[in-house]
Amino acid sequence: MKKMLCLLLALVMALALCACGSSAQTGTTDEEALAEVQAAVDEVADDVAAALEGVTDDAAAIADSVRVDVTDDAAAGAAYVFLDEDLGTESYAIGFRLGDEELAETVSGAVMALVQNGTYAAIGENYPEIADYLCLTADDVDAAAIPEQGSGDPDYTFKHGFDLDYPPYSYLQDDGSVGGFDVELCQAVCEYLGWGYEAVPFNWDAKDMELNAGSCDCIWSGFTKEGREDAYTWGVTYSNNTQGILVAADSGIATLADLAGRSVGVQTATSAAEMLEDSQADLAATFAELRVYETYTIAFNDLKAGAIDAIAIDMTAGAFLIANEG
Amino acid sequence: MTLSTMLSTMGAGMLRTCGIFFLTLLFSLPLGMIVMLLRRSRFPVVQWIMKIYIAVMRGTPLMLQLLAWYFGPYYLFGWSIRGYRFTAIILGFSMNYAAYFAEIYRGGIEAIPAGQYEAAEVLGYTHAQTFFKIILPQVVKTILPSVTNEIITLVKDTSLAFTLAYNEMFSLAKQIAASQTSFTPFLIAGVFYFVANYVVAFAMERVEKAFDYYS
Repeated sequence: MKKMLCLLLALVMALALCACGSSAQTGTTDEEALAEVQAAVDEVADDVAAALEGVTDDAAAIADSVRVDVTDDAAAGAAYVFLDEDLGTESYAIGFRLGDEELAETVSGAVMALVQNGTYAAIGENYPEIADYLCLTADDVDAAAIPEQGSGDPDYTFKHGFDLDYPPYSYLQDDGSVGGFDVELCQAVCEYLGWGYEAVPFNWDAKDMELNAGSCDCIWSGFTKEGREDAYTWGVTYSNNTQGILVAADSGIATLADLAGRSVGVQTATSAAEMLEDSQADLAATFAELRVYETYTIAFNDLKAGAIDAIAIDMTAGAFLIANEG
Repeated sequence: MTLSTMLSTMGAGMLRTCGIFFLTLLFSLPLGMIVMLLRRSRFPVVQWIMKIYIAVMRGTPLMLQLLAWYFGPYYLFGWSIRGYRFTAIILGFSMNYAAYFAEIYRGGIEAIPAGQYEAAEVLGYTHAQTFFKIILPQVVKTILPSVTNEIITLVKDTSLAFTLAYNEMFSLAKQIAASQTSFTPFLIAGVFYFVANYVVAFAMERVEKAFDYYS
């Protein structure tokens, strides 16, 4: 008897987990699919309830707990918006070791060549979130600085250092390969020059150690130039970005001033985090708390769960989170 | 950033690290005892449940468990998790460490020869008296080195609390290192962990000496 009850309880727990999984996965799909999941969960819950009937008085209560409300998530939808006011802008460039002027010039020149021949814009089309922020146009190209195609040393392998946790600039693709705008652009640069390409995904906290130890030749991963002008030899600035505040559409927060007394999340060691410590410190002082996360993924989950009210994040990464919500 | 600002910023984190450490020990040491007793229960069903509990706790990463404890109530039941962060961290750590402590306790108890129980019975001890006066002191003595191991691991595991955006000492070290492009915070963190663990090892050695009644 006890064994029987035990088995049933385990079944109920497993079902609850399944329901949790499906509600999390179906967050952005259409209502039909959600209704289907809801129906399926209810059906199974009914079966369990029937099976448990007579075993214990708590059976119905346990079965009810399986009926996770998946429609709640559907109503919330992808209802996250950026405030009209922003925190500031920044530029993304390629960082080389101090003194690596020649390498910086060659790579920057190759990027310009790709701007000229349209590859730069073509790669940008794969990443709609950043299309508006790509700042290089044919007008910027200085033909004299462009190295000849295939002029690089064919035995040289360019080691591209980047954070694999920074979509849409560099992140793991759906098929498990390494990709993102920066990765594709760097690969195109190597192809243009005739170099070999090597991906060196590193821990962002250790980027300087990796660069100085020579395990990579550059930091190229949505790397902000502002505030670091003297710490690296900089290549071309290939993208701009704006730091904004992401909130739930129904939060009632419309301006930066509305953030007073609210909890705001930010990812550690990002430009948004630096701005809130520095140029926007007065704004940060009005928050109830500024919570620092290891990754924006967890911060966004906290926002969805209502544990925080807003996230300070750059527009492109924020747009990526909204687009891939769930 | 000067060294003293670095130290004072990280000092606030050290307090949080110590908070996680002491609260986890406070809850997991007794909880491990309960889990062990249930694991050795006469009822196979209870034994079975505890076996699954221990298998899950030991078999999955603590980082995932912390995420599950924190986000679980929201995704499973739609409850608000505002203000629940620290509770979830202590819950996650305590439940995880209790599983390890339970197995250490069990090893200690099962190492006691049956002769001890028989002798106690002959001498007229009750079950409770046998357990608390004869068995438990010997168990404590046997398991102390293993418990020390776990406690030292706990000191270093506290850095996992950053998964749930709890800014304990090591996460602050990482943040300062990133903004100052400096290795010093890691050095400070290393020294802190080493000193903390040295204190733990020293204290546990004293406890072991206190139980060293044979020599």
